[in-house]
Amino acid sequence: MVKIIGGFFAGVTVIGLLVYNFAGSLMFREVPSPFGVEETVARIQQNILNAGNGWSLSGLRNAAKPIEADGGNVLPVLMIEACSTKYSAPILKDDSLRFLSNLMPCKISVYKKNDGKTYIGLMNAQLIGSLFGRKVGEIMGHVAADQAKFIVFDASKPAPAMIKGGSGAAGGGAAGAAGGC
Amino acid sequence: MTSRLKYLLAIAAAGALLAAPATFAQTAKLEPIIAPPTQPASAVPATAKAETASTADHSKFKALQQNFKTGPQVTEACLTCHTEAAKQVQHTKHWTWESVDPKTGQKRGKKNIINNYCTSPVSNEKDCMACHAGYGWKDNSFDFTVEKNVDCLICHDTTGTYRKLPGYAGHPVYERVEFPKDSGKFVEAADLKKVAQSIGLPSRSNCGSCHFFGAGGNGAKHGDLDSSLQHPGKYLDVHMDEKGLNFSCVTCHATEKHEVSGSRYNVAAAVKGPAHIRGKTDASPAACQSCHSDKPHSGRMDILNTHTAKIACQTCHIPEYARDAIGTEASWDWSQATVMGPDGKPFARKDSAGRRAFDSKKGAWVWDSYVIPEYRWFNGASTYKVIGDKIDPSQTVHINEVGGEPNAADSRIWPVKVHRGKQPYDKVNNYLTVQHTGGEDDTALWHNYDWQKAIGAGMKAAGLPYSGEYGFVSTDMTWPITHMVAPEHDALSCAQCHSKNGRLQNIAGVYMPSRDGNRLLDLAGWTLVLLSLLGVLIHGGLRIYTSKKKEQLK
Repeated sequence: MVKIIGGFFAGVTVIGLLVYNFAGSLMFREVPSPFGVEETVARIQQNILNAGNGWSLSGLRNAAKPIEADGGNVLPVLMIEACSTKYSAPILKDDSLRFLSNLMPCKISVYKKNDGKTYIGLMNAQLIGSLFGRKVGEIMGHVAADQAKFIVFDASKPAPAMIKGGSGAAGGGAAGAAGGC
Repeated sequence: MTSRLKYLLAIAAAGALLAAPATFAQTAKLEPIIAPPTQPASAVPATAKAETASTADHSKFKALQQNFKTGPQVTEACLTCHTEAAKQVQHTKHWTWESVDPKTGQKRGKKNIINNYCTSPVSNEKDCMACHAGYGWKDNSFDFTVEKNVDCLICHDTTGTYRKLPGYAGHPVYERVEFPKDSGKFVEAADLKKVAQSIGLPSRSNCGSCHFFGAGGNGAKHGDLDSSLQHPGKYLDVHMDEKGLNFSCVTCHATEKHEVSGSRYNVAAAVKGPAHIRGKTDASPAACQSCHSDKPHSGRMDILNTHTAKIACQTCHIPEYARDAIGTEASWDWSQATVMGPDGKPFARKDSAGRRAFDSKKGAWVWDSYVIPEYRWFNGASTYKVIGDKIDPSQTVHINEVGGEPNAADSRIWPVKVHRGKQPYDKVNNYLTVQHTGGEDDTALWHNYDWQKAIGAGMKAAGLPYSGEYGFVSTDMTWPITHMVAPEHDALSCAQCHSKNGRLQNIAGVYMPSRDGNRLLDLAGWTLVLLSLLGVLIHGGLRIYTSKKKEQLK
């Protein structure tokens, strides 16, 4: 009996440690960008606008701005907000899934780190979606596939202009509501 | 075997138990939490405005109650009372654009250096002298002794309406003009009477009208100076914070006889001693230490005072420069100038943030913002390449090299901006060339897009022979960073330097714990740790083994 209980707790510990170590990196991805912060944002925005599937830009939020307004400094963090009505509508129509509106609009963050390089942060939409049943898993699988295309860059094309999207980029406040969510 | 199976089953059960909450996450319900009402936001403190302490109302002075036609007329009126002012200004770098290295005697300053931004004012005076504290410097014939040509208003105007544009040799516009040309935007003629009657101490806007816009663009040159400092928040500069200390430039750059302290040509890189009262005679009033002393940290943080013999205050307290969307230029590639668009016509392009990225007139730029500085040992003195100095075109030409070395008493580790570029040089004579860029004449690069003519005219004005063969050479220029001081809590943390890949990873000549180590010593240390661990395990194992043996024997 002691061995069973001991084994159970050992199992809890091992699984707990595994989850603690890997859950974060499974839920989110970070990839380096070959461009600066603004150019990375602008190129992702263009990719979103060209993606089809109902995708549109909902805004651009600068998470560093409120901190600056409060007298502090952080390296720039720009969050591109995008939404696809094709994917959001089925979720928002379902009363049992409407709480997932918390995850909308989709965000891709672009930030600089202390090594001076620019990185792109993405949510693993497929994995997170799979936690909420088949319907959401399937939709989020499509979102993940599109997201993967958003961060493919054609360096031969000149840098497009960053779309500031209302007050979000400049002031860190509410973003413009051009998108579908 | 059975017990092992039970053990595995228990592990599997535990795993399932842990996975369950995630699986059923969508069904979990939470009671809404009603937040307590928040306190009304406290009123934003009013912008601190320095009250005028002047004892003179200049609008009441008779000498200033006339309809001035030109800037020099205003200066003549100023000099009726301020009799020595022009003579004082004429001894400063703001007038001479020249600086002499006290150690080597080398003549530096804008007049003598070819930088890797706009390169040189020589032959381009009509444009560049928009930032000269004088009137009429349009070529080599400018008389530096004429007092009425000193421009008082550019530093002392408080109306914010006095502007000097490129192309007027340092004069303001005396009639309404379209600027830039064909832009549909107009600059009104300066109301010289109004400006002359509204003078005061230099504000951030006065200094910034040139120093924020060096190299022809907002923030382009320095990296730690741009127009965001006109109305800065605390995050950007703790001293200049408009709602806080609200320092102007001259609060630190204390001025005596119009000589502004704190030149980058003679930086106070390693000031020692206690803080002292501002405004008193001081060799380096613009240094941090003149207010904060060389032991500024107290209490728990006083260990940081041991760093001040090696590290400049700026290294920790300016973690990044260009901390705003304006950014700063990281590089300028002149070799791209004269490249035309597909239609054969000149064109310009901006980068994603709306900053200049390419122009057929000037070449290509790369910008960056929130820039992590590079770091150098620096003793306050730099050596410069001046017009006519020989270069080695097979290597990157260092237009200036900051002096200083590890463990020298006068050297500290400083943050710097390194601006990289490509610019023309004479392939036979092996020196950087001066080129005539601005203007509407036939030899101006921005008019005719002809490098040969532009270099020929520039070198003629500089008084140097030109072989007729030019190429482009890589150059860099190093700028010590000293503005945009972040609030205390945003200073670098210990680990940002004390780590293998930290900020100071390339700084040689100083031992830094956690960055540096002795391989043999580290090996010996880790061997001891491993041996200790092994000893504990063997000892514990033996204790368990022998106790079990004893139980079996019983």
